[in-house]
Amino acid sequence: MSTVLQLKNITKTYGDMRALNGIDLALPGDAYISLLGPSGSGKTTLLRVIAGFEQPDGGAILFDGKRIDTMAPDKRGIGFVFQNFALFPHLSVAQNIAFGLENRDVEPSTDRRLIDAKVRDIISLVGLSGLEGRAVTQISGGQRQRVALARTLVTEPRMVLLDEPLGALDANLRARMRAELRAIRERCGVTFLHVTGSEAEALAMGDTVLVLESGRIAQSADSDTVYNRPASPAVARFLNCYNLFPGRIEGGAFVGGVGRFALGPAVTARSASPAYAIRYDRVSVRPRDAAITEDEIRIEANFVASEYSGAAVNSFFALDDGRVFEVESHLSHAAPETYAEQGRYALVWKREDALVYA
Amino acid sequence: MSMMAVAEQTETETVAEKKSPGKALWLLAPGVIWMTLFLVLPILMMVYVSFWTQTTFTIEPTLTLKSWITFFTSDTYLGALWTTVRIWLIVLVATVLVGYPAALFVGLFVKNKALQTVLLVLCVIPFWTSFLIRVLAWRPMLGKEGAINMILMNLGITDAPIEVLLFSELSVIIGMTQIYCVFMVGPIAFMLGRIDTSIIEAAQDLGAGFWRIFRTIILPLSMPGVVVGAIFVSVMVLGEFATSAALSGRKVNLLGNIIVTQVGSLKWAFAAVAGVVLTILMGAVVAALLRVVDLRKEL
Repeated sequence: MSTVLQLKNITKTYGDMRALNGIDLALPGDAYISLLGPSGSGKTTLLRVIAGFEQPDGGAILFDGKRIDTMAPDKRGIGFVFQNFALFPHLSVAQNIAFGLENRDVEPSTDRRLIDAKVRDIISLVGLSGLEGRAVTQISGGQRQRVALARTLVTEPRMVLLDEPLGALDANLRARMRAELRAIRERCGVTFLHVTGSEAEALAMGDTVLVLESGRIAQSADSDTVYNRPASPAVARFLNCYNLFPGRIEGGAFVGGVGRFALGPAVTARSASPAYAIRYDRVSVRPRDAAITEDEIRIEANFVASEYSGAAVNSFFALDDGRVFEVESHLSHAAPETYAEQGRYALVWKREDALVYA
Repeated sequence: MSMMAVAEQTETETVAEKKSPGKALWLLAPGVIWMTLFLVLPILMMVYVSFWTQTTFTIEPTLTLKSWITFFTSDTYLGALWTTVRIWLIVLVATVLVGYPAALFVGLFVKNKALQTVLLVLCVIPFWTSFLIRVLAWRPMLGKEGAINMILMNLGITDAPIEVLLFSELSVIIGMTQIYCVFMVGPIAFMLGRIDTSIIEAAQDLGAGFWRIFRTIILPLSMPGVVVGAIFVSVMVLGEFATSAALSGRKVNLLGNIIVTQVGSLKWAFAAVAGVVLTILMGAVVAALLRVVDLRKEL
């Protein structure tokens, strides 16, 4: 896959705040890329810089090898789908979609038949047939989402930026639109860069997942790698499925707040702030007197509460230093156990399941 | 026993609920009474009086069409009607031309809400002086030896004072535009301020230039503001008499001036005819403006 969009050392500062702190990035063509970042990580700023609504303070943006960071937004060939859809409220569905074709400065279409044909094609592509004449105020959230997407796609951009496109939809619709967005992208064959604050959405949608953390790209990899091998403690924390312990490595063991964890042949990743991470679903809860094997690590904690989510139960334990430790038990493996309130249990995991950052 | 009580209570509640629309109608009573006494009845009275018989100093309730015939055959009255319509149209266009760009600046290009409010308040400042003083202040400005003529002559742009500046239709138009412009700026700026910035960015991203965006997005979305502003300005200009009296040297006679003079000389029937004509004209103008946009949908 060839690179379409390349960012070199992009910086952007608002007052004292560094929104983008040297972003280096290369995005492949014909791919679905999700950009995951907590709120305030600079993800919307990054998208607006790529689209051209904001000027970067430094660095270069290359599109197909040409510099575009000094071009006006509409000359870049990059479409933008807004979080709130930003539909033109006084125009119908079809008029909204035709807007770009009719009104662009460069080569506006004047041939009514051609415009109508293109609009018809894109309406059937995004599944809006039958709603052409409706006012955009009279359609549902999901349909508005499709209008926003169609309006951008009809101008045949070479890349589409989506700013939290599913954020305004309810949970049920969001799940359906995920698959839909991927399918639409595959039919168009252009790169989608999808910004989201939800880790589940980013992992489910992206061929490549980028994780943005305090103005930098913290990781860029496929979903599986990001989930199983987060590149830094910050990424792991943000994925919301790892228990993290700060501490330091001392003589073949990790010394954290609640004890020494012997290190196995475990992977150690480089990080400025040492940390020990164990995934929620890699931990088992046992009675305190249960034996452990050679390669297992054991800590003790008090049960606090558990949360049932259908396929799994998440149990929360209080460690001796006050920290909360979460364990996820999948119900397909075993019937849910009930733990005694404030009861003391052993939490056990395999040495090699842990990720160690140092 | 207690079950009975609950059932009874529920019943009373249902009855009360059924009654409530009728009860709520009482809220309208003060408004309806007030408007009937002081708006509907006077208007009906005005229509009635316009058919009374007018002699030099008296008026009798004998029904006749004479005042109406006099109004529509007299050059003075028809001329006043025509002048009213002409000045109204010119002032309306002038307030849009002056007010729209100002509103565009305040509503769209000033991002700071506090600054927006300050600028709109600045527009209202002329209203803190009395109407009479404001109108009369134009005389030393526009007069033969007024500020504008002095400056033009001292700069050598003109040799003789431009006389048409004061006591002419032009001075009435200048004065009215200045006074009523703010009623145009306010509603337009309000509508423009409600346009989501991302809508304009979306249009930009789709490739439209500024004028295209203005014509296809900004202008249509601000039309309700223009219509509301136009209704304000129209109603006020059509009923005007003070500005034209003070700035035209009685050369420009609007329907309002006709009514004032007719009432002054106790010609109540003529005044009533002019009043009815003016009311119908205003009603027609407002109705026509409301057809331009569906305000109920937009606001």
